[in-house]
Amino acid sequence: MKRIINVIRLRVAVIAAKAAIFLLRLAGSGGTSFPGKLAIKIYPGILSELSRKYRIFMITGTNGKTTTAKIIAEILKENGISYVANKSGANLVSGIAACLISDIKMNLMPRSNTALLEVDEAAFRVATETVKPAAVVVTNFFRDQLDRYGELYDTLRSVRDGISHIPDATLILNADDSLCASLGNNVSNPVIYYGLNEQAVFPVQEQDPALNHDAAFCLYCKTKYQYKSRFYGHLGHYTCPGCGYSRPEALVNIEKITVLSGDFSAVIFNTPSGKFSAQINLPGLYNVYNALAAAAFAETLGFSHEKTVYALSSFESGFGRMESIPIGDRTIQVILIKNPVGFSQVINFLLSVENTSVISFIINDNLADGTDVSWLWDVELEVLADIQDRVSTFFVSGTRADDMAVRLKYAGIYSNRITIENDKGAMLDAALNMLKPGETLYILPTYTAMLDIRKTLEKRYKLKYFWQ
Amino acid sequence: MYRLSICHLYPDLLNLYGDYGNIQALKKRMEWRGIEASVCQVSLGDRFSPSDYDIVFIGGGQDYEQSILYADLIENKKEGITEAVENGVVFLCICGGFQLMGLYYKPPRGEEIPCLGIMDHWTIGNEKRLVGNLIFSIEGLNQEPNGYIVGFENHSGKTYLGERGKPLGKVIYGFGNNGEDGYEGARYKNVFCSYSHGSLLPKNPALADELITLALKRKYSDFVSLQPLDDHLEAKARKSIISRYIRK
Repeated sequence: MKRIINVIRLRVAVIAAKAAIFLLRLAGSGGTSFPGKLAIKIYPGILSELSRKYRIFMITGTNGKTTTAKIIAEILKENGISYVANKSGANLVSGIAACLISDIKMNLMPRSNTALLEVDEAAFRVATETVKPAAVVVTNFFRDQLDRYGELYDTLRSVRDGISHIPDATLILNADDSLCASLGNNVSNPVIYYGLNEQAVFPVQEQDPALNHDAAFCLYCKTKYQYKSRFYGHLGHYTCPGCGYSRPEALVNIEKITVLSGDFSAVIFNTPSGKFSAQINLPGLYNVYNALAAAAFAETLGFSHEKTVYALSSFESGFGRMESIPIGDRTIQVILIKNPVGFSQVINFLLSVENTSVISFIINDNLADGTDVSWLWDVELEVLADIQDRVSTFFVSGTRADDMAVRLKYAGIYSNRITIENDKGAMLDAALNMLKPGETLYILPTYTAMLDIRKTLEKRYKLKYFWQ
Repeated sequence: MYRLSICHLYPDLLNLYGDYGNIQALKKRMEWRGIEASVCQVSLGDRFSPSDYDIVFIGGGQDYEQSILYADLIENKKEGITEAVENGVVFLCICGGFQLMGLYYKPPRGEEIPCLGIMDHWTIGNEKRLVGNLIFSIEGLNQEPNGYIVGFENHSGKTYLGERGKPLGKVIYGFGNNGEDGYEGARYKNVFCSYSHGSLLPKNPALADELITLALKRKYSDFVSLQPLDDHLEAKARKSIISRYIRK
């Protein structure tokens, strides 16, 4: 009897959620969490029941989840695997439920056999109580919005707890991140590490090595790590002189980064199944890591190099992540910023672009952005002062435009180069007017600002809606 | 030419959320006036020499990082810091730094951790964090409007002032030291303690200038006052938060 009732509840939950998804789309909203919440309310067991119908892959960590998931999706597609993936931002339990429901047919059978799930690092522990992945890719751990996620070590602990729920899942871990790599210690899971070769890239000398370092001290014995080379943040080849904890050997690694340009990167992979070169269709060292994580995933599944190489060179960037929008003979590029290390990496990318023209920061302090904007002071913006002759104006907008203006001033940008424009439409008009043919307007928004500016751009230039 | 030496204490451990902004604000506001500023980093194993610095900054850290430094602080630096404070060196201590100047910190689980004991306050750790925008007023501070200071707080410790303790200011919006007594921060000689982290000094230039003035007066007998600067961006950032939370 109970079984029959559960089957009925499951059906009702699926139908209700599907109806909600349909109505939300009709209303032109990209709302992605409500249908899942509704379904869980009607039938709390829905996630565990539906997820058993799929082979599940998860991606979690602080930075690069969406881009890594995008690349892996492309790799799955190249290998002829039908999959369903949750949309960017819908990475809490409700979003995962909505994603599976959208793929389930009315007879409760799945359309795809694989689910590729980006999971918020704070939701990972709860998600793994019911959803059992075959493999988990973990990108990295950096300090994020402290007001929302709490302290970094708490996030790490919570992901570790999540892993204890899934002892059979293969863990695909970043060897260069001492925090991420530690997840592979003392577990029964199969573990595959990925990382950059010591000489893969010229290690960056940061302005002040003491600052912006999220994990300078050993996680086990609190001794200061020694680095043979450090690539950015705390990523690199570390050894603890106290207890001997050190970077594990990476099975899948990048032997050399041969090109790091403003448009793309080129690398040489070294994996157990051989060496191969690839071009990565996104600029920036942090995207090299995302591509590497995806290549490690492909290696784990035994996919061919050719297909991985093709996927890396052809995938399109995620929503608001280095997304290029051509406007006549000018271009708008939207690059999401969400925490100090990610933002600093975007600034490094801007330095590599030769004719930067107009840069616009849109800083909001809504819950999803982080209500505390002090993190702007942890971003190495001082380097922007060196290129201010190439930037005609720094626009600042958003609910915390004024804070960003102050930050730029103290980074050494002349006050008369900083324009506060709270109206996003007016900011776009003014910025586009300043561009010469062939030039690019770089828009750097926080999360809710990205949704906002994307909506404005969609309306103006008839872009695709993001849930499509 | 006037010169000031700034000490950043434990920059590799206490650098939570924008503490760097306070150093940058002091440095830039000196530079813009032609005052030379040098920043020294003092961390684990280093000795703290009380006569080397004019301004000392101690920031906040995550619990994990803070747990690394207690022993070093008491063994290698307590004596020097105490002497510097008594000699009138200017200190800015934020969040964890504020707690360290007091008598002890009692974590939610485990034993009391003794702190420097230079000032009369103590901190009780809590499970619930006090998080949000913070507005408080400092009496006599020449900053529009009403000597209001704008910042952001995020702390699990509740700090209480003892009989000899004096607050830095009064809470106008937010929690402050403990969300109970309406006090924010603490003040002793030239030591300024606050829970307002990150962009405390950049957005509140009158306070930054007060610290610089105190340090210059202490070091140079011919120093009178600082040249005013154009602070309209700072004032705008401050006022947009004040008008968000306080009705006229």
